[in-house]
Amino acid sequence: MKSKIIKIVLALIVIAIGVVAYLWFMPHRNVQSVKAFKTIDATALVNEFLTDKEKANALYLDSDEGESKVLIVTGIVAKISKDQLGQQVILLKNKKDKMGVSCSFTLETNNQVNTIKIGDHISIKGVIRSGAEYDEDLDLIENVIIEKSALIK
Amino acid sequence: MKKLFLAILLISISITTFGQEKLKTTSGHIKFFSTTPAEDIEANNYKAISNLTPSTGDLVFSIPMQSFEFEKALMQKHYNSKKFLNTKKFPKAKFKGNITNLSAINFSKDGTYAADVSGDLTIHGVTNKVSEKMMLTIKNGAVTGTTSFDITLADYDVVFTKGKPSKNIAKSVKITANLNYTK
Repeated sequence: MKSKIIKIVLALIVIAIGVVAYLWFMPHRNVQSVKAFKTIDATALVNEFLTDKEKANALYLDSDEGESKVLIVTGIVAKISKDQLGQQVILLKNKKDKMGVSCSFTLETNNQVNTIKIGDHISIKGVIRSGAEYDEDLDLIENVIIEKSALIK
Repeated sequence: MKKLFLAILLISISITTFGQEKLKTTSGHIKFFSTTPAEDIEANNYKAISNLTPSTGDLVFSIPMQSFEFEKALMQKHYNSKKFLNTKKFPKAKFKGNITNLSAINFSKDGTYAADVSGDLTIHGVTNKVSEKMMLTIKNGAVTGTTSFDITLADYDVVFTKGKPSKNIAKSVKITANLNYTK
């Protein structure tokens, strides 16, 4: 009887440690392994936010855990730059558009950008973080922000 | 006469545009840091957008809230959830304000200047007046802005009274920013 209780207690302790370890070491979502919600043109995506911000936010942003939609965005490369972390950033934007989609790569996918040139038509897969907005008074241009990007061949 | 008028018009237009010239960044780094005896929590965001107008001192920020990255996946999930920052409903934090001691800053001369910044900071849908110092380092026309200040989470309706979060998350968190402005 006594040994049975000890066994149960031990089993509970092992389960508890397992749960804590799972929560503690839970990996970040691997964006590239998630199936894309949809493939969309950069101009079309920007316009969805400019037309109806609330509707677009509701469609693309995740409210429970910040795990927003994974998208494949197609468009023309307008600018290539680096952020302060050293991540490559490609702006997909049509010449006639005021705003575009800013796609940040990761330190792991950075080298995919080496072969890309301004004017190329490419597809990028990544997670959306926030939508496009333009404040005329402040002249503040906010592109759609995509992170954890990788090129889609 | 007509030509002269046109010339004056063109010059005055170019002066106004030059005067309104803005310094911009789309890759500002914002970090927040919370420390309690239980644990230290840090999150980094490299996607802050900001415009600074040297002629008027106008300063605006937009920070995509879901771009804050935590070391622990679970912390990031909690941070984004409805109970905390609710980043679906409030996807961006904003600041609109200006430099109040503009005369103390010479944007055309290299150096480091202490700017007094005040304005409205909106986080989690709640707007508060803030006044903070921002160091501006001017070098070869590029401007770097750095600042560090504490915010009280309750001021922005981010409140947890029960359980682990109330022990593990500080009531006030330290915000640091590094903004790499270019023309």
